[in-house]
Amino acid sequence: MAVIEVKNLKKNFRVKLKEKGLKGSLKSMVKASYRTVEAVKGVNFEVQEGEVIAFIGPNGAGKSTTIKMLTGILYPDGGDIRVLGIDPTKERKKLAYEIGTVFGQKEQLWMHLTPYDNFKFFGAIYDIPDKEAEKRIEEIKELFELQEIMNTPVRNLSLGQRIRCEIAASLIHQPKVLFLDEPTIGLDPVVKDSIRKLIKKMNKEYHTTVFLTSHDVSDIEKLCKRVIIINNGELVMDDSMENLKYHHLNKKIIEIKLAKMADFSNFDGIKVLKQKDTNFKLEIDLKKKSIADVLKLIHSDDLIDMNISNTPLEEIISEIYRDGVKV
Amino acid sequence: MKKYLYIFRAEMMSALQYFSNLFSGFIGYFIIIFILLNLWNYIYDDPTELINGYTKTQMIWYVIITEILWKIFNGRKFCRQICNDVKGGNIAYNMNKPYSYIGYVLSSHLGEGLVKTVAYVAVGMILGKIFLGTFPSHSVSSLMIVFLSGLLAVIIDALCIIFISLISFYIEDAHPLYWLYSKMILILGTMFPVEFFPTALQGIIAMTPIYVICYGPAKLFVDFSMDSAIHIIIFQILYVLVAYALCLALYRKGVRKLNVNGG
Repeated sequence: MAVIEVKNLKKNFRVKLKEKGLKGSLKSMVKASYRTVEAVKGVNFEVQEGEVIAFIGPNGAGKSTTIKMLTGILYPDGGDIRVLGIDPTKERKKLAYEIGTVFGQKEQLWMHLTPYDNFKFFGAIYDIPDKEAEKRIEEIKELFELQEIMNTPVRNLSLGQRIRCEIAASLIHQPKVLFLDEPTIGLDPVVKDSIRKLIKKMNKEYHTTVFLTSHDVSDIEKLCKRVIIINNGELVMDDSMENLKYHHLNKKIIEIKLAKMADFSNFDGIKVLKQKDTNFKLEIDLKKKSIADVLKLIHSDDLIDMNISNTPLEEIISEIYRDGVKV
Repeated sequence: MKKYLYIFRAEMMSALQYFSNLFSGFIGYFIIIFILLNLWNYIYDDPTELINGYTKTQMIWYVIITEILWKIFNGRKFCRQICNDVKGGNIAYNMNKPYSYIGYVLSSHLGEGLVKTVAYVAVGMILGKIFLGTFPSHSVSSLMIVFLSGLLAVIIDALCIIFISLISFYIEDAHPLYWLYSKMILILGTMFPVEFFPTALQGIIAMTPIYVICYGPAKLFVDFSMDSAIHIIIFQILYVLVAYALCLALYRKGVRKLNVNGG
């Protein structure tokens, strides 16, 4: 069942234009001119129940605008949105009971209250009876391992602990869909990893659909089975992570250490990325050359060490951002 | 309603944590009352004299009450908070929560206000007792009515500030408007009762928020009568309803043109 349906979604922003200098300032006071920026240009996609999807794109691509329209924060200029069958622009409050949101750059917890008081507060605003709220807080405390920080004011928590509490607070009302906008921003790798594990656990335990935006490729790689890429307000890719890797991983990186000097510069499909003495880092275009072809170029007696790896996902995504792949 | 009570409680808990910050306010309050006490002592020749229907004791109690209200209002911080919410886009993040933004800011403002009310009423009463020796005569029910009128005054003031702050949706900075509003309340509302102004002006002031925000509760405290209580409370309730409707209309219109960038 599709929990998010987006059809031909559009959003324009009007940006005031001002010519440079004092003359420009005076002119804009008399007659202001505006430029319309098409932030989202007719986007279509669907998200199924229980999916963890990554919605990614470079800065200014329109991903946050889209997430804000999906959660009822912004009014679209065109198209149709249904989240759990609810139109976010018309029934924002009704939708609020069904979804959870975490914006990594905006805290929603009350800083001077403890996580426990915050969770009670969230329980109250979502009209959860006291007894039920206590039960859920207990459950979430276990799941998110918050026992030690439950009674420490949020302002005294570390960023990682705070984000854990932010996600926990957004789950008190057991939302069916959770929107996470860059939840791991500014966190160290260890904490990032624990947040990822939590998201996975939550998806498994509660079957929550997760709609995630992140600039961190590891978040996407470790959490999501499907990736939607948006750039300049248009979808440039909507595919499974497996397909993304399969179709775009047509390059391999070979690092070799040889006993003797060799020359790889004149072969079609082989690009020398780095060379230091007899150490080479080669990029192999698998459409033109196979790994076996490359190995044939090396005398086995000369080979001291070798490492074959995939192109990092980060590079693939950067390439898609740059060149675009039309869906 | 439970959610708003919770917001109220949460803000009250926060205000309690910063209770010591109130002490600097007490000093300012004491200075103002001391100056006004000396001013009225100078103006009144003898304590039994009536000026515009007020004895010296009533006049000083009047300013003690209006200055307590002024301290509870604390509009500058409140206005700045809402203006920042609108301009910084924070207001958007309140929109996808199942509560009304106006209800949210109002209950959090009242939560903070309650702590101040307890503190300043205590300080005001102690100062009054020290300087004047007597309290205006009241029954429990009349005191309850005065308290209700004071609460409505704080709500009306908060709604006026919310309305002014929400104009930030349309103009770059709503602070100058708040400045005008607050100075009007301070000068025309807290210093003198309405009866001290020229007759022609009294009618106009009676229509402004000054009448329901400052004059109403202070007048009821110094010179209680059931007739004026009914008149003032009805007027205050009407003000609450109209101000809330205006805030809601402005908010609904404003959020449609909200642009939230970034991400």
